[in-house]
Amino acid sequence: MSNSSASYIHMVQHLIEKCLIFHMTKEECMEALSKHGNIQPVITSTVWSELEKENKEFFKLYTSSQVKVKGGAETGALIHKMISDTSKDDSDE
Amino acid sequence: MLVASSLRDSTSKNNDTEETIVGVDMDDFPGGSLLEYSIDFDELFAGLDEDPDALPDLEILGDYYSVSAGSGDERGQSSDDGNDVVSGSAGSPFGSGSGLDTSSVCSPSEGAAVVDQAEEVGAKKDGKEHQGHFGKVKKLAASAAKAGRSSKTGRGDGKRKVKVDWTPELHKRFVQAVEQLGEKAVPSRILEVMGADGLTRHNIASHLQKYRSHRKHLIAREAEAASWNQRRHLYGGARAGGVGKRAGVSPWLVPTIGFPPPMPQPLHRPLGPLHVWGHPSGGHSQSNTMWPKHIVPHHHLRPPHLQPRPVWAPPHPHHLPYGPSQGMPCYPSPPQRFVAPPVPGIPHRAMYKNDPRAAAGQPPRLHPPLDSTPSNETIDAALEDVLAKPWLPLPIGLKPPAIDTVVGELQRHGVPQIPPS
Repeated sequence: MSNSSASYIHMVQHLIEKCLIFHMTKEECMEALSKHGNIQPVITSTVWSELEKENKEFFKLYTSSQVKVKGGAETGALIHKMISDTSKDDSDE
Repeated sequence: MLVASSLRDSTSKNNDTEETIVGVDMDDFPGGSLLEYSIDFDELFAGLDEDPDALPDLEILGDYYSVSAGSGDERGQSSDDGNDVVSGSAGSPFGSGSGLDTSSVCSPSEGAAVVDQAEEVGAKKDGKEHQGHFGKVKKLAASAAKAGRSSKTGRGDGKRKVKVDWTPELHKRFVQAVEQLGEKAVPSRILEVMGADGLTRHNIASHLQKYRSHRKHLIAREAEAASWNQRRHLYGGARAGGVGKRAGVSPWLVPTIGFPPPMPQPLHRPLGPLHVWGHPSGGHSQSNTMWPKHIVPHHHLRPPHLQPRPVWAPPHPHHLPYGPSQGMPCYPSPPQRFVAPPVPGIPHRAMYKNDPRAAAGQPPRLHPPLDSTPSNETIDAALEDVLAKPWLPLPIGLKPPAIDTVVGELQRHGVPQIPPS
């Protein structure tokens, strides 16, 4: 019994780590796991929190870089949009 | 393995004994060629199960030499000639025993005992058909070796073998010695460099063997993972359209627009901490790691690591070593214009911005998302990967929380059963 719990939790951790690679926030991760992996958000959230407790340093850095990243991301998105807009030729004008 | 191959080498060379690692003097073999003598590999490896510290039973091979020593008495009896390997009777054919240090494992007394037996047999069987002769000698010598070894190990007699405890500290010294010696890392030299008392060459040799095989394993795994990742991420939208020096080469570098080119010093500073064999080690991104990997297939930033329990070390903002390993994702520091200190291993999100654009012309899988999250397809692919292949190592390898704690928490949040039905 506990084995299946353990492996399930391990799987969730694995999935969360994949999200971390994408620099997702906790909420985004919950959503992604729910959507793509059918993991209940509460489970994702709990495992995330526990991971955070066990890996405080990591998450501290993660969060702080997130703040900056977000800013960068949005700027990037804006730029991207501008580029694709201009590349749309006449259709938009 | 080491010995067997060197033995094969010597069979093919057939003449100049000084050059062969083995140092077997071909003249001593009546047939003039070792080809007549087959090595019984089963015998050779038989001992492995019994004794974790033992190499394949090189003492058997030692007996091959002792046969020569037996038949060529003058060589057999001559003393060590400064060879610290084994006492003359069993060891001198070795010359400057490099690769075969391991076979010099026999302590002098054992070597002598073994040789004596072999000599006896040799004397008796002189003139007989060589193969048969040798076969018998081999068997006898093998059993002698085993007897010798068992008295050494004390199986049946009461254990006298001292088992080496490879502490992280000791292992670190070992690894440093190996790194220092590089190509020349042979047990006797390692032993010298380590300067460790209480360690025999045999201990070192077997540890070295394990170390090397482990490293190969790690590298193979990384390569495998890299190729998976490559497939995933190249299509998953990290195509940075040829920017940067390495577009398309390494999956993890692909999103790195403007990332500094991968540093060509693969493993100088491997990321400290993980000890493969379960020794936890606090660490740092300083190099004295447990199993530093000298070979990095690509500069991929995140080979799946192997250890369940990495120790997180603070990242170096400007110098992230490219160590694959230890669950410390190794990403290069992002270019300065991205202010974010890299959380090692986490690619900068902004990168994904460019994907869609670059990927627009690319495999159909990608639609340019205009939002600020990575493409859904990418995420989906990554998650599916995990679901499909649960045996894959954790990409980051964070320290896992205690299961009971998690279960308790979940129950408190209204999830009684995991996995939920």
